[in-house]
Amino acid sequence: MSLTISDITIFDHQHKPLFSPLSFTISAGEILTLMGPSGCGKSTLLSIIAGHQLHDFSFNGDCFLNDKNINTVAVEKRNIGLLFQDDLLFPHLNIWENLAIALPNHVKGLQRKQQALATLGQLNLSALADKSPTQISGGQRARISLMRMLLAEPDAILLDEPFSKLDKSLRAEFRDWVFTETKARKLPVLMVTHDNADIPTGEPCLHWPWSGVNASGC
Amino acid sequence: MSTIAQRIGKITLLIISLCICFLPLLPGLIGLFVSALGYIPAINQYQFSLTGFNQLFDWPGLSQSITLSLFVSIGSTLMAALGCFVILQSCWQHPIWRKLELFLSPILALPHVAFAIGFAFLFSPSGFISRLCAQFIDGFTASNWSLINDPYALGLLLALMLKEIPFLLFMSIALLKQLNIEQTMITGRSLGYSSAQVWQKIIFPQWLPKIRFSLFAVAAYSLSVVDVALVLGPTQPPTVPVLVWQWLNDADLATLPKASAGAVLLLVLCVFLLALLRAIEWLFISYHRHWQTRGRFALPVTGKPLLGLICSISFVVIPLLLLWSFAQRWRFPDWLPSRFSLRFWQQEWDYLYDVICSSTVIALISASLALLFAIVIHEHNNGSSKPAIPLKIPKLLILIPMLAPQLSILFGIQVATLLTNSSAHMLWVMWAHVFFVFPYIYLALDGPWRSYDKRLDKVALSLGMSPLRAWWRIKRPILLPAIWIAWALGISVSLTQYLPTLMLGAGRIATLTTEAVALASGQDRRIGAIYALLQSLLPVFFYLIAIIASRKSGHKLSLNRTNSILSPRAIMKKTSLRIKKLSINDNE
Repeated sequence: MSLTISDITIFDHQHKPLFSPLSFTISAGEILTLMGPSGCGKSTLLSIIAGHQLHDFSFNGDCFLNDKNINTVAVEKRNIGLLFQDDLLFPHLNIWENLAIALPNHVKGLQRKQQALATLGQLNLSALADKSPTQISGGQRARISLMRMLLAEPDAILLDEPFSKLDKSLRAEFRDWVFTETKARKLPVLMVTHDNADIPTGEPCLHWPWSGVNASGC
Repeated sequence: MSTIAQRIGKITLLIISLCICFLPLLPGLIGLFVSALGYIPAINQYQFSLTGFNQLFDWPGLSQSITLSLFVSIGSTLMAALGCFVILQSCWQHPIWRKLELFLSPILALPHVAFAIGFAFLFSPSGFISRLCAQFIDGFTASNWSLINDPYALGLLLALMLKEIPFLLFMSIALLKQLNIEQTMITGRSLGYSSAQVWQKIIFPQWLPKIRFSLFAVAAYSLSVVDVALVLGPTQPPTVPVLVWQWLNDADLATLPKASAGAVLLLVLCVFLLALLRAIEWLFISYHRHWQTRGRFALPVTGKPLLGLICSISFVVIPLLLLWSFAQRWRFPDWLPSRFSLRFWQQEWDYLYDVICSSTVIALISASLALLFAIVIHEHNNGSSKPAIPLKIPKLLILIPMLAPQLSILFGIQVATLLTNSSAHMLWVMWAHVFFVFPYIYLALDGPWRSYDKRLDKVALSLGMSPLRAWWRIKRPILLPAIWIAWALGISVSLTQYLPTLMLGAGRIATLTTEAVALASGQDRRIGAIYALLQSLLPVFFYLIAIIASRKSGHKLSLNRTNSILSPRAIMKKTSLRIKKLSINDNE
C-alpha cells in the first residue's frame, strides 16, 4: 500500500499558490511528517488528500492511493482514515457503539458488538464499553478515536496535529502506541504537526518551505 | 445601582412574568375539571355529578371521532417529522439552503387558517387544480369525492402536515447548529459513510431527541385544532375538538356538561398522544439501537420534491385568494375569473378597517409583552448572572400552553372570567393572547440564548461594566436579530388566535381570524377570500419589518455567519477587542 502526491499546488482565493508543486511517496508502514507554521496550508493539503470540499481554496495535481488516481473518488470511497486533535466521538453512542459503527459492512449482526468488545479488551479498556464519551478521560477518548479509525480498515492514514490536545505526560506514550499500530497494519501515514517532538525517530519529514523532493531524516 | 436594588428589581420582574405567563393555568385547569364534574353555576347546577361524562360516552360516533382525531394528529406529526428530516438531508449543505432560510419566514408567517382556506380553494372539486385539469384534459369531470371535508380526514391531515413542516424546519435550524453537522460529516465520511448514510444513521438519532418538544407542539396542535378542522375537517362526525366546540356553542345549554366532559377527554387524549410519541422515540433511539451501528445503509429519499410542493402551495395561496377577492364571476371550469370587480372590497372596507385595527393592536401589545417576559425568563434560566431565585423554571411548564389543548384550558378560564362578572373582555383576550404566544417566543429564543457564549459576559464584567450595562451593550446587540424574528413570530401567532378571542371576547371582539373562519364556510367565497387574504398579509408585513431590522442589526456581526469553524479563542479575541473599544468610549 502506498500514498503518492504528484505536483500538488494549492491556490488561495486570490489564486496565489501557497507553495511550489509538492510531490512525495509514502510506502507501507512509513510515516512522513510535514512541519510548517500556521497558515502554510498543511491542513488544507490533508483535506485535499482526504477528498473534502475546499471552501476558499483550489488545487492542481494528483493523489494516488495504491497507484490508483483518487482525485475524482468520493470521500467515503477513498478509504483514507483521518484523525484530528479533537476525538470527535459521537456523543449519542456509547463507547462500544462508537467502535462498532466503524466496522466494515461485511461484519454482520451480533459480530459487530463482539468485535467492538474484543477490541476494547485488547486495549484493556473493557470497563468503558457502556460508558458515554463524556464520561471517560481525554487520553482514553483519543485511544478510542484512533481504534475507531483503524477498525474501518483504511488504506492510508492522515493525522492532523493529533497529539496537541493531550497532556504532556500522556503524549509520548500515546504517540508511540499510534505508530506501533500503524506500522503493524503496514499503513502509509502522513502526519502534520508543528511540534518537533512528535516526529518519530528514523522517519522522513519535510520542513517548511517544502521543496519537491522527499527529504529523509530530521 | 446597588446590588440589593438590582436583586429586588430582578425578583419583581420575574414574579410579574411568572404571574402573567403561568397564572391562567390555575383557573384553566380547575375550572375545567370542576365543570366536567357537574358544577356549572351558569346553568344553575351546583352539584357534583358524572352526568356530563355519561352523556359524552353515550353519544354515538364518539369512538369514530376519537379515531379520526388520533389518526390526524399521529399521522400529520410523524409525516411532518420525516418530511422535515428528508428535506434537511437533501438541502442542508446545498446552495438551496440559503434561499430556503429566506423563504422560511414568510411561509411560516402564513396563518394556518389562511393556508387552510387556500388549500380548500386549490383542492376542492371546483377548486383551482380541478379547473386546470378541466382546461387541459379533455373529458375531465369534477369528481364527487373531495379532499375537503372528507370523512377520513385526509385533507385535514395533508394540510396540517404541509403546514407543520416549515415550522419543524425552522426549529431544526438552531438545533442543527448545536449538533455541529460539518464536523460530524467529515468524521462520518472518513469512516466510509456516504452523506445520506451520515444523515440517517448518525445525525437522525441526535436530531430526534432535540426536536422532541417541537414535535409535541405539532401533535398537540393537530389534535386540538378547531379552526382548521372547521374549514377542512370531516363533518359527520367531526374531530373531537370540533365536537366539543359545537356543544359549547349550542343554543341548548344542556349540552354544557357534555362539552366540559369532552374538553377533559381532549386533555386526556393529548396526554396519551404525547406519551405515545415519547414512547416511539424511546423505542427507536434508546431501546432498539442496533440499526444505528449495523453498517452503512441508507434509504434512498429525496426531499427536494417535497420542499417544492410545500413552497408552491404556500406561494400559490395568496395570489389565489387575491384572485377570488376580485372575482365578480368565476364559473367552473374557467381558470381565471371572467369578470373582475372591486365591489367586495368596497363593501367590506369599513368593517375590515376596524377589524384590522383591533387585530393589530391586540397582536402588537401581546407579542411585545410576551417577548419581554420571554427575555426575563431566559435570562433567569440561561443567563450568566446569578438568578434571583435559585429555581430554574422547567421547560415543560413553559410549554404547557403549547402542549395542552387550547379548548380545554380556555374552558376553565372562561368559567373563571364569568365568575368575576366583569366586562373587561379586552383585558382577558389580551392576557390570553400573551399566555398562548409566550411559549412560541420562548422556543424561538431558546437556540440563540443557548448558543450565546457566556464568556463574553464574563469578559464584559471583568472590564468593569455593570450586569445591566453588559446585557444592554454586549448581549442585546448579538441577540437582536433573533429577538426581531421572535417578535414577528409572536405577532403572527397572536394574529392567528381563534379560540381565545372568541371565547373570552364574549363575541364583542372581532379579529381577522374569527371573521375569516366564520366566512370560510359561508356561501360567498369572495368575501371569505378577502378576510383570509388580509389575515395572511398582516403577519407577512410584520415579518418583513423584522427581517429588515434583523439584517441591519446582524450585518455588523460576522460571528455566526462564517462557514469556517472559528475557534472559541478567535471569537473571544474579536469580541473582547470590541468590548474594550466600547468601554474606552464609555469612559471618555
